[in-house]
Amino acid sequence: MIAASRIRMKYISWSILALALVLLAVSLARGDELRDFGRDIRPILSDKCFACHGPDEAQRTGGFRLDQKESALGETDSGARPIVPGDPQASEVFQRITTDDADLRMPPADSHKVLTPDEIERIRQWIAAGAPWKAHWSFVAPVRPAVPPVKRSTWPLNEIDNFILARLEAEGLDPSPAAEKTILLRRVTLDLTGLPPTPDEVQAFLLDNSADAYEKVVDRLLASPRYGEHMARHWLDAARYGDTHGLHLDNYREMWPYRDWAVAAFNRNLPYDQFTIEQLAGDLLDQPTEEQLVATGFNRCHVTTNEGGSIVDEVEVRNVVDRVVTMGTVFMGLTFDCTRCHDHKYDPFTMKDFYSLYAYFNSLDGSPMDDNRKDPAPVLKYATPEQKSQLAALAEEIGQLEAKLDGPMPEVDAAQATWEEAQRREVTAASSGELPASSAVAVNNPPQATPKNQLTVSDWYWVGPFGNDRRYLRSRRHGPEGKQVDLAQKFELATGEKVGWVRKSEWVDGSVHTDLPGELVANFLYRTIRAERAETIKVSLGSDDAIRVYVNDHVVHDNDVDRAVAPDQDVVELKLKPGLNHLLIKIINYQGGAGFYFKITSPQVIVPAEVYDIARRPANEAPPEDRRRLREFYRYNIAESDELKSLHDKMAQKREASLAVDREIATTLIWREKKEPVRARILTRGEYDKPAEEVARRTPASLPMAPRLPNNRLGLAQWMLDPAHPLTARVAVNRFWQQVFGCGIVKTSEDFGSQGEPPTHPELLDWLAVDFRESGWDVKQLMKRLVMSASYRQTSRVTPELWQRDPANRLLARGPRFRLDAEMLRDQALIVSGLLVEKLGGPSVKPPQPAGLWEAVGFVGSNTEHFVADEGPNKVHRRALYTFIKRTSPPPQMTTFDAPSREYCITRRERTNTPLQALVLMNEPQFIEAARALAERTLREANADSAERARYMFRLCVGRAPTFTEVRDLLSGVAEDYAHYQTDRQAAKDLIAIDVAPPEPLDPIELAAWTMAANTLLSLDEVVTKN
Amino acid sequence: MNLWEDNQLAASRRCFLGQSAMGLGAAALAALLPGSARGARQSSAVQGLPELPHFAPKAKRAIYLFMNGAPSQLDLFDYKPKMQALFDIDLPESVRMGQRLTTMTSGQSRFPVAPSKFKFQRYGQSGAWVSELLPHTAKMVDDLAIVRSLHTEAINHDPATTYLCTGHQLPGRASIGSWISYGLGTMNDDLPAFVVMTPAWSSKASAQALFSRLWGSGFLPTTHQGVAMRSNGDPVLFLSNPAGVDAATRRRMLDRVVQFNQRNFESFGDPESQTRIEQFEMAFRMQTSVPALIDIADEPQHLLDMYGPDVRTPGTFAASCLLARRMMEQGVRFVQIFHRGWDQHNNLPSDLALQCKDVDQGGWALIQDLKQRGLLDDTLVFWGGEFGRTIYCQGQLTKENYGRDHHPRCFTIWLAGGGIKPGIVYGETDDFSYNIVDKPIHIHDLNATILHALGVDHRKLTYKHQGLDVRLTGVEAHQPVLDLMT
Repeated sequence: MIAASRIRMKYISWSILALALVLLAVSLARGDELRDFGRDIRPILSDKCFACHGPDEAQRTGGFRLDQKESALGETDSGARPIVPGDPQASEVFQRITTDDADLRMPPADSHKVLTPDEIERIRQWIAAGAPWKAHWSFVAPVRPAVPPVKRSTWPLNEIDNFILARLEAEGLDPSPAAEKTILLRRVTLDLTGLPPTPDEVQAFLLDNSADAYEKVVDRLLASPRYGEHMARHWLDAARYGDTHGLHLDNYREMWPYRDWAVAAFNRNLPYDQFTIEQLAGDLLDQPTEEQLVATGFNRCHVTTNEGGSIVDEVEVRNVVDRVVTMGTVFMGLTFDCTRCHDHKYDPFTMKDFYSLYAYFNSLDGSPMDDNRKDPAPVLKYATPEQKSQLAALAEEIGQLEAKLDGPMPEVDAAQATWEEAQRREVTAASSGELPASSAVAVNNPPQATPKNQLTVSDWYWVGPFGNDRRYLRSRRHGPEGKQVDLAQKFELATGEKVGWVRKSEWVDGSVHTDLPGELVANFLYRTIRAERAETIKVSLGSDDAIRVYVNDHVVHDNDVDRAVAPDQDVVELKLKPGLNHLLIKIINYQGGAGFYFKITSPQVIVPAEVYDIARRPANEAPPEDRRRLREFYRYNIAESDELKSLHDKMAQKREASLAVDREIATTLIWREKKEPVRARILTRGEYDKPAEEVARRTPASLPMAPRLPNNRLGLAQWMLDPAHPLTARVAVNRFWQQVFGCGIVKTSEDFGSQGEPPTHPELLDWLAVDFRESGWDVKQLMKRLVMSASYRQTSRVTPELWQRDPANRLLARGPRFRLDAEMLRDQALIVSGLLVEKLGGPSVKPPQPAGLWEAVGFVGSNTEHFVADEGPNKVHRRALYTFIKRTSPPPQMTTFDAPSREYCITRRERTNTPLQALVLMNEPQFIEAARALAERTLREANADSAERARYMFRLCVGRAPTFTEVRDLLSGVAEDYAHYQTDRQAAKDLIAIDVAPPEPLDPIELAAWTMAANTLLSLDEVVTKN
Repeated sequence: MNLWEDNQLAASRRCFLGQSAMGLGAAALAALLPGSARGARQSSAVQGLPELPHFAPKAKRAIYLFMNGAPSQLDLFDYKPKMQALFDIDLPESVRMGQRLTTMTSGQSRFPVAPSKFKFQRYGQSGAWVSELLPHTAKMVDDLAIVRSLHTEAINHDPATTYLCTGHQLPGRASIGSWISYGLGTMNDDLPAFVVMTPAWSSKASAQALFSRLWGSGFLPTTHQGVAMRSNGDPVLFLSNPAGVDAATRRRMLDRVVQFNQRNFESFGDPESQTRIEQFEMAFRMQTSVPALIDIADEPQHLLDMYGPDVRTPGTFAASCLLARRMMEQGVRFVQIFHRGWDQHNNLPSDLALQCKDVDQGGWALIQDLKQRGLLDDTLVFWGGEFGRTIYCQGQLTKENYGRDHHPRCFTIWLAGGGIKPGIVYGETDDFSYNIVDKPIHIHDLNATILHALGVDHRKLTYKHQGLDVRLTGVEAHQPVLDLMT
């Protein structure tokens, strides 16, 4: 009652305000002022009201929500009606936003949200008009709208233009004239390939007066492999691709085959639906190709850690959350991050929805920790086509050699029969009670060997990794140390995990093994050696890092070092007793990769026990495969024959060659699903150690999945691509639009929810989205449509009036104009100077950067602690797409121009204008190098006339002919600098000596003066901008 | 015919100028542009938000001395004499209460108490306890607010440093310095608003990493990211002209760039061209102002002596402190010094002593220097790491040697200067320095306090990102600790 009377009191003061507002409303009202709910009202409710009266059940107060019509038009807990269509005064919402009682006034003061008078008036008008309600625009599937008619019917070149022009005409604006041909050509070449046109291309375009001259250019650009490089570069920001793991040690991650996959996908115009499916779920396709598996790296691009002390469950949750959030942002423009800890405050998604999506991404068949390795499982070894053909050729040669080695060789076979006979005469109990013999032991070759001095060696057994600090690692009380080995024994690791001995038949002696796990850990290796008599053998060892060797429980070798493993680092003598000997080796890894090497170098023949058994049986009693094995052993180890030796040598060569190719093959992180999906639970407040209710895989309740789809990641991807899905196509076309026009039709390309900006041209967005989908998700066709439009082809010159009217160019009454991206700036400098080395794909490269940047932040012992620049044009003059990205210290030439660190998904870059950018353009060594090369090129290629040189250089950089004044100004600069360098010849020499390659025999003073001219041109606003 | 010489361009330019309001000149055009921010002759400096500061600031600028790796509160400030009697006794379960540990020690069979081997003494009017490792800091306790009750949730370095510096454990948010630059803007015309230094350190163990995200701008425009001031090579990246280009040659080049860009502005009418001219001019000014800033030849001997012998070696903590003071004088808004090497899992006594020697005198001298110049009154200084360390020993324990694992439940930092109550010790931990028993301060509260001193209401300094009004101090309710403020 008291509250009610207070409200009534407020009515009096309200009525005065109401009068004022009505007057205001009258003055504001124009013919077309009917409020559009989606454009004018919902954003206000979302931003100012939803936090407490929206989707988040936990935070909801008053018992009603304003994101749903039924509730908003229904009753609150107190019985009031939030919104009464047609009657603002009866609407509680309107009462509460206009009352001047601070206790009742909405939004409440502690929300720090305030409604402006205009917003209040908009709400009033909307309620007065009957409160027409529409679901949030982006949650309703797009239908192809009619192309609007326009008055100026000759202007449109395609449908885009009708939509743009219709809006301009409604706003009373005219489109701008078409851009000059030179400007248009530079614009479209930059937009489709990331590089400027060459003077020849400009010349050809100017000469071509045919009606389809421009279209031919567009087709040429779309067919260029540069197109894929440029398109992929944008995509990689969204996919958060980088060359290191991104957290803590930030070690190298080998992932570039995924980058190359993206380039190739755009170049072969992989339809966007397939592009989506392969990245999200390529592994679930029927018999996926290698490429489709590489594509699944998308789900592995997130940052990972192996920080000591990390709690694995916590890391796992972070990894999975990143996958879900990135998928939401990139494909659907949704901000799922909110729903990790609570129901979404603005959009119809609950925490349960989030963890139901989480359930699609939590079953990676691999550890959440990256192990500080470049290739944390699951990975794919991804051979390039050249590598594949090299391997195939070698395999064929090896096959031929094998066939020869496997065929009858009368002399050798006769000698073998004699040797077998000798074995059978020996009466020795071979292998009682010892471990199964290894077939993987390298064997020496004294033909006179008899069973008396043969060694029988078992496979390796391994246990580990035992983690602890350095000191403890060095103790002798670790795991199996200090007592006789019992292969049945279990050990508890620092992580609490219980482990036992594992047989490692694949560890062949005589090669380096680097697959020991862990960092700051000890691993143990064990095997038995049976000797027929007491003797001393020599073994050659290698280890990363420290090594300790026990024979029959006594330390015989201890070397506490930090090193990378290599063969023959330590040579040790082992004293063996007759019968069974126990060999235990401890390898301590302090940092980085771990590994070991082992080879018996003494001349004893090491006969695996099985072979020995076969030899002792009569030849006709052994099955054929045993006989083959025996023959192989004999021919490799015992026989003496020049023919055999030559075949064996050839075989060794070929195998080594094959191995060498194999070692070069890159791995790339991929997705492989666990056999059994991991159960998912809602995590209270998003905390890894607060699991609550279990949830099944399911798409958000507000966007259900069709029942015909499989309920896995593949189905999830197909669900996003379903014509009924309201977001995916819109989000995609919007991002491509943003790439070309500088700003999306929806500016917030990462957020299509109610807090995002509504589209400037909703019908156009829908038309493009539906058309894109119906075209078969044809990206090239879409890109072509964008750049073929008259809207795109307008001049970007702006009058002051138009600039005032639309500073951000959202209405497109002029063409797009904005600064080139970081990568484009560098690529442009390299190509106009003739330095650019164009080569598609391959490992990332490290062009020079200032010393000390990695060291300043790098973890001591990280394999990216020290930056070592690559050398040679094939590495340092590649496109910036291929520059190595260390995510905790990305290349400064790039980040200074707003390139992201790639630690997380970005769908929209900032575009700043800073003094540090000026410093890069003026002084960064590669820009200076490019300036000098451009000067050299000009002096070499243009004739000796200065004006001609100026024109030539200008055309290369700017893509158009200079005016008379421009030539004059450029030349006067050259003249001044020339005069200066004449007085300081050494300075000229210093400037032109910047590159590793010595300059051509040109006059240093002239070259220096023209280098400054090039430095000037490459810094110009017109050059760093797409005009 | 050479089509390059086409007149198309000139023609259309004439046409354009004809279209525009009767051929307005550039100046007139610029004057038409809204707001001074885009005007032709305005400064290129980073502007703050018009509504800031929210209230009268106590501090105009701040220096943030970040001890990366987490210094042991137990061996420096949080004196626990009772522990001496408990040497090698297991930490009682009633203290630990099942709280999580890192996996570096969670597998240990015992958690033996490792008392500090260092001597503590009370100092100053406030009687604050300080260990013998920080003799210089001890002299100035009456200038400091020592907070022993800071806590965080993160338990490992990468998430914890990212949390403290950006308010979030995962990459992607804006750093505190970039928030301050965004909100308050710069106070000078030729230096950045936010500068970062990463001096050398002395401990022998592997040092924890830094990440450029710690001073990055996250979702804020990159204009606000910290500019790394380096001790080797160019102090600011790409500051120096290449060999063979002197200042006069650079000036001539710039004059031509300006000339062309001005014409380009007249041709296209895009104010961004004007801004670019201003940015080039500021870059040119920085080529003079930054070298002048780092040239300490004008500092008197007695002042250099105060900072200690390290100050003459570029890239030391002491040298960075002196530069920080010079930056404060010249209107840099926020300086952050990241000193690494504080992660003493083992060999704590020897390594911690080395680390303290790195920072003790320089930090003290910085405060004295600011004070003598009257700058301390409106300069806030912070000293601290990302979490604390455990009372129990990691690895082998002897009286003389021990190690300590990560401990997020409590740690000690100090604040001084603008707006901070001097000579107080705030908050208390239990006998084991394991749990906070009085006046806990969350790291978000700390950041809210720093913002408060600068006149910023941390709840109102927000940026719309992914549909949310994101702020430095997260979504939960946090507040500045007014008890720490004057």
